[in-house]
Amino acid sequence: MDINTIHPTDTEVELVLHGRFDAHETEAFRAEVDTEMASGHHHLRVNLAAVEFVDSSALAELVRGMKRCRELGGDLILVQPSDPVRVILELTKLMSAFEIV
Amino acid sequence: MTNALIEANDQLLALYALTEVTSDSLDGTSSVQEILSRAQTLLDADALVFETDTGETIATVGRPTGINPPAPTGAVLTNSAGARASTTADITVSNASGLAARLLAYRRHRPFGTPDQKLATAVANLALGAWHTSQMHRDALSQAIMARDHDTASELAVRALPQWQPQINGAELYARSDPARAAGGDLFTYSVVDDVLHFVVGDVSGKGLPAAMMMTNVISASLAAFQSDGHRGPAAVLSRIDAWMYDYLSQAGLFVTLVVGSYDPQEKTVLLSNAGHSPVLWIDGAKAAVVEAATPPVGVLPLTDATAPTEVVLSGGPGNRLVVSSDGFTEQLDRRGNMFGEERLVNEIINSSDPGSTLGPQLYTALVTHADGAEQSDDRTLVILDIHGPDSHSPDIHGPDGRREGRTGND
Repeated sequence: MDINTIHPTDTEVELVLHGRFDAHETEAFRAEVDTEMASGHHHLRVNLAAVEFVDSSALAELVRGMKRCRELGGDLILVQPSDPVRVILELTKLMSAFEIV
Repeated sequence: MTNALIEANDQLLALYALTEVTSDSLDGTSSVQEILSRAQTLLDADALVFETDTGETIATVGRPTGINPPAPTGAVLTNSAGARASTTADITVSNASGLAARLLAYRRHRPFGTPDQKLATAVANLALGAWHTSQMHRDALSQAIMARDHDTASELAVRALPQWQPQINGAELYARSDPARAAGGDLFTYSVVDDVLHFVVGDVSGKGLPAAMMMTNVISASLAAFQSDGHRGPAAVLSRIDAWMYDYLSQAGLFVTLVVGSYDPQEKTVLLSNAGHSPVLWIDGAKAAVVEAATPPVGVLPLTDATAPTEVVLSGGPGNRLVVSSDGFTEQLDRRGNMFGEERLVNEIINSSDPGSTLGPQLYTALVTHADGAEQSDDRTLVILDIHGPDSHSPDIHGPDGRREGRTGND
């Protein structure tokens, strides 16, 4: 999975993910989220439009990031989840846990 | 010429003597100490110091007093009073593994010549080899201990899954979980309370032993919740598990999908409360209905009135079958990257008239055939509750007191 981090503005951060998001990729994703949060960015957008698959480990990382952001007054927002990702989010009822745009 | 030949011959004999140095110990320090002791005589040195490339002394022989700091090879050193102290051979060696070390040899009465330098280099390489061997042995031992502990912990975690099978009048339960590694986060357990079968099937996020550790906690919480809240139904059991497990899961950065259920053989009803688990299938002959999750997995969000668990009531009769698996079952890839898929799972189930005890192993075989050698990427769990009408001669339900060998391992 590729992770491209873009900063549309000084306060906005969007992590654009490409490929398969599974247990093998969670470490890289966590490192990216932790780096941004250490830089004071607590409003993260995670673009899932080009993600083909997510497993439970990946979902746990998204939930972890969401909780950490909310604890600090921010949020982790899911952007344009692809159909396979949307199906998983619906099956697990995680759609109701995240803000999705 | 004669002197040179004699000196060369002496060096060869000295090197031969060095190769005779053996040690029964795998302790690196004592092995190097033994080598230095032999080398001190061969080099006619007052003192030898062998240290790592970071300056940590491994072994010394003799007393290199008045020499500080070590000097370049062959240099004449002076002590603090400015008097001639010694000459030094300073040899740094490394091996193919990148391990490096340094040998310092001190001698007062005459400088080290070229043959001495070669001999000192041979000593340094021999000492480095002994040190490296001891380090590899230590690392291998450490890894073996860790692997043994890991295996023991994994075995204990897997044993948290029930090793017995309930006997239910008019119904049959098949349950099996194959972790992708030695242990995993998939779980099932069941209990009989007041003649009602209570069960839970779940999947802790993550893989391996960390997920397995959490899995055992969820099983313990589930068994306790069956006792305390089973009479109030699966939604109450799920709420109790959430109350006990939420903080722990949240702090660990994990969650668990759970489907909690009960089967009452008198009422012939199955009650289910589903927190983010999939797939959960209710089979009625050739029809399969998906029992959707009503709430997110436990550990994602604190329960509120809006997210309180709800229940589904399923009236059972002959031909009805509840099938719960984990995502590792449906998401198993073949070598071309194609998933087994929920659709195929459903087709295999509705096209079979075999009882769960036969169908279950058949599904696992179909999964292995589908994988065609592809790696098992996730835990695979399958629970089937068949309802096939009561046997009037049998008591309604048996718990672990009437236990028999369960079908909970590899069939």
